[in-house]
Amino acid sequence: MTVSFTYLDELDAIALPDGFVWRPIRRHFGIKAFGVNAYTSRAGDMIVEEHTEGQLGHEEIYLVLRGRVKFTIDGNDHELGQGQLVFVRDPSLKRAGVALTDDAAVLAIGGKPGEAFEISAWETWFAAAPLAEAKRWDEVIALYNEALGEKPDHPVLLYNLACMEALAGRPDDALTHLERAIELQPEFAETAAKDTDFDSIRDDPRFAG
Amino acid sequence: MSEGYEILTLDEVETAEHRGSNLIPVRYTLNFRPAGVNAWIADTGGQLIPPHEEDSGNEELYVVVRGRASFVVDDETKDAPAGTLIFVEPGHNRTATAEEDGTIVFVVGATVGEAFDGGGWDTFAVAYTLQRAGDMDGCRAVMDKAMAAQPDSWALPYNLGCLEALAGNTDEAITALGRALELNDEDIHHYLREDTELDNIRDDPRFQELCKGATGTGSGLSRDGAA
Repeated sequence: MTVSFTYLDELDAIALPDGFVWRPIRRHFGIKAFGVNAYTSRAGDMIVEEHTEGQLGHEEIYLVLRGRVKFTIDGNDHELGQGQLVFVRDPSLKRAGVALTDDAAVLAIGGKPGEAFEISAWETWFAAAPLAEAKRWDEVIALYNEALGEKPDHPVLLYNLACMEALAGRPDDALTHLERAIELQPEFAETAAKDTDFDSIRDDPRFAG
Repeated sequence: MSEGYEILTLDEVETAEHRGSNLIPVRYTLNFRPAGVNAWIADTGGQLIPPHEEDSGNEELYVVVRGRASFVVDDETKDAPAGTLIFVEPGHNRTATAEEDGTIVFVVGATVGEAFDGGGWDTFAVAYTLQRAGDMDGCRAVMDKAMAAQPDSWALPYNLGCLEALAGNTDEAITALGRALELNDEDIHHYLREDTELDNIRDDPRFQELCKGATGTGSGLSRDGAA
C-alpha cells in the first residue's frame, strides 16, 4: 500500500526497560527516506532516553504531540507542551525527556546531514528488547535476521545478534556472528571481552581466540 | 541555551503564504538538514496542504499535531483528528483542509536513497511572502543566505530575479537573472520566455539580450530546483 493512515495510539507500543514506550512509526509504514518515531510515557517517567547522537552524527527534532514534557538538553531544563519542539543540532549534546503528564507523546525525527537515510541498528535493539526480556529467543533472532537480510554486513547488528545468541545458549551461532562483527569492526573485540552477555561462552577456547 | 540546540513553538513562527496555504517554515527557520520538515496551520474551512503529487519523489509523513483535518488522498477522504499519521508515497494527489481553528499538521519528507539537499520551495515561500509585504530588504536577505549555502543552484538567483522584477527593480532583476544564466543556460530558456513574473522587465533590451544568451529549448527541471 502506498497511502496509509494510522493513529498514534494504534501504533505498536513497545515498553522499554527505561520506562518509556517506543511507538515505531518508520517500521509501521515501511518508511525508507527518513527516521521518524514516537514515544509515549506516564507522568514522572522517561519519554526520551538520555543519550547523545555522537556516534551516529544525527541532527534530531523532538516535537511534543500531546501533554507536557521536561527536556534536559546539555544540562538545561525546558518544559514544552503540544506544538513545541526542540531541535538538537549538535549530535554530541546530552539530551533526555521526562513526561510531566500521563498523555505525553513526543515525535522524534532524525538523520545525518548530507547522507541518505539508513535504518539505525538501535531500531532492531528496541524492537527485540521486550522479547529478549521474556527470553523469546526465536523471535529475537528472527528480528535480527530480518534486519541483516537488508544489511548483511552491519557490524552492530551482527554484534547484538551474537549477544542474543549467547544469552539464548547457542554458542556456535554466537561465535560465528561475533567473529564476523569483529572482522568488520575490530573494536568489538575489546567490547566483547567485558560484555556480560557473553559469560556463557567466555570459557570457550574459540571466544578467547 | 547553547548554540547546539533550539526551541521552537510552531504557532509563534511567522507563517509564509504558499499556494493558498499558511506554511510554518520549520526547516528554513531551524536549518534542519537531514530531511524536509515543515508545518501548516489553518482555521476551520481553510486549506492546510496545497494539492500536490510530490513529483519530486519524496516519501511524506503527515502528522496532525493539533485540531482536526480532513485529508483527501487520491479519491479517499479521511477524518484526521490530532494524533493521526498519514504516510504517502510519491505520485498520489494529496490535500487537507482544517476542520477546527488553529489546526496544525507537521510534515516530514525526503527521497529514498538520496541525501536531502536542503529544500528550496520553502525558502521561496518565505521570500515571496516578504516581497508581497513590500519588505525587499528582508526578501533579499533570505535569498542571499540561501545562495551562500547553495552557490551552484540556478533556481535561487532565477527566483531572486523574479522577485526583483515583481517589485519593479529592473536593474537588480537583470543582474540576478544574469547570475542564473551563468549557472544554467539551457533549462532557464523556457522560464525566461514563459514566466509571467518577468512581465515587468520583458520590454527591457537587457532582458532581451539575456534571452538570446539562453541556448536551451525546454526544461525538465522544476523552477523550484529541488523541493
